[in-house]
Amino acid sequence: MAAVIEVNHLHKIFRIPHEKRNTIFETLTGLIKPTNFEILHALKDINFSVEEGEMFGIIGQNGSGKSTLLKIMSRILIPTEGSVITRKTVTPFLELGVGFNYDFTAAENVKIYGIIMGLTPQDIEDKTEDILEFAGISQFRDTKLRNFSSGMQVRLAFSTAIQTKPQILLLDEVLAVGDQEFQKKCLQELERFKREGVTIIFVSHDLEAVKKHCGRALLLNHGIQVMMGETDEVVGMYEGSG
Amino acid sequence: MRIQHIKELYDYRNLIWVLAWVEFKQRYKNSVLGYFWSLLEPLLMLSVLYIIFSNLMKVQVEHYQLFLLQGIIMWNFFSRATSMGLMAIIGKPHLVQKVYFPRDILVISGCTTALLMSIFESVVFIGFMLFFQIPLSVNIIVLPVIIFLFFIIALGASMALAALNVYYRDIQYIWALVLQVGFFATPILYPLTVFPPLLFRVLSYNPIAQILYLARDVTLYSKVPNLASFSYAVVISIVILGIGYTIFSRLEPKFAEEL
Repeated sequence: MAAVIEVNHLHKIFRIPHEKRNTIFETLTGLIKPTNFEILHALKDINFSVEEGEMFGIIGQNGSGKSTLLKIMSRILIPTEGSVITRKTVTPFLELGVGFNYDFTAAENVKIYGIIMGLTPQDIEDKTEDILEFAGISQFRDTKLRNFSSGMQVRLAFSTAIQTKPQILLLDEVLAVGDQEFQKKCLQELERFKREGVTIIFVSHDLEAVKKHCGRALLLNHGIQVMMGETDEVVGMYEGSG
Repeated sequence: MRIQHIKELYDYRNLIWVLAWVEFKQRYKNSVLGYFWSLLEPLLMLSVLYIIFSNLMKVQVEHYQLFLLQGIIMWNFFSRATSMGLMAIIGKPHLVQKVYFPRDILVISGCTTALLMSIFESVVFIGFMLFFQIPLSVNIIVLPVIIFLFFIIALGASMALAALNVYYRDIQYIWALVLQVGFFATPILYPLTVFPPLLFRVLSYNPIAQILYLARDVTLYSKVPNLASFSYAVVISIVILGIGYTIFSRLEPKFAEEL
């Protein structure tokens, strides 16, 4: 087993200006008076590594830096200091249905979203029926997305997204959508990924799910790595402190 | 541009194409006349301009209708490509903040949409070519190369604009003004020879002017493309893309935070 993700001394600092200068005019006039920045140290010295095929949980309160960490792992944000090394392809599920277009039909959106998630046109062609069926909306394939309920949209997005063959999967709270039955289906798919040896980073507030699925976990609090280790202990620590 | 980056873009070709196609389709989807609407627009503009310029200003240009139409279609491409490129990053905050792919894909697909629209509009132009029985020569085979150079120029400009627009939102208003001035500084309605010699020489450095000269020479006038113009177009397109790409890649890492 080799580490497929290595996070070394990772820092992320956001500089949030008190007043945002968004135009050339403001920038020029603003040269006279200094800008005040709010420094937000979103991640402070994070260190961990994840082995291939492991399911690794990240927990912590809102604003503890979980999403920032995932975004850095997905290359959306760049680290201020330190590094994240990934040795396999990273597939982030940070939000479902990114790039969905309401003027297009369900089938067309499967195509658009599938490509964004990294499927090939051939994959999509072969799997469109399966995707629509898994989402339970086969009879609405030519209905425009704007006429779908939000639940149907999310189901469609998830069904499309799981068709990707991820090597490292980053999940940010995406399972907290849909009804009971659909959530059960989602967890089954996760189990399948696990069996297939996909490395999964699982960010969730659902501590029971984290305990059930993750071998190890990381607890963040205000950007500080509080604890990392066996999931039961880490969750225990979190519950004890919170 | 690094070779590695070009390879990465090639791996994402499906995404470029899908994003361009979505935009193209969406443009026409909600209008009653659909795709034909986009053919009416250049036709209408052509009629108005033709009436004004051929009668009032007595412009002496061979095949003036086609001269005008080709100018309008090609200028529309540049104006649309850069206007869409300008919004490529700030118009899609979701894609920038929630998924990873090389960000210039958004700009490339924006310019590709503009190109699709212009190719579509060219149907009218081809119709006119047939109607007026303009003879074609073998020189027409250079046209795709000229269009490619034009695309590169539009792409380079769009990259710089898209990146700067993330930081300075008034770029879009400034660019709208530049386009308005550019329309008259480019031989669309008239050849540049209508200007006094000094202004003529200055305006000849306008890359789009040279592109238009080249394109008209090979389509309307059965001429061999002017070597000086062609070399200038090649050099200037590489320079513009280089500058645009440099600005873009400098600013790119912070896009997700700035939006």
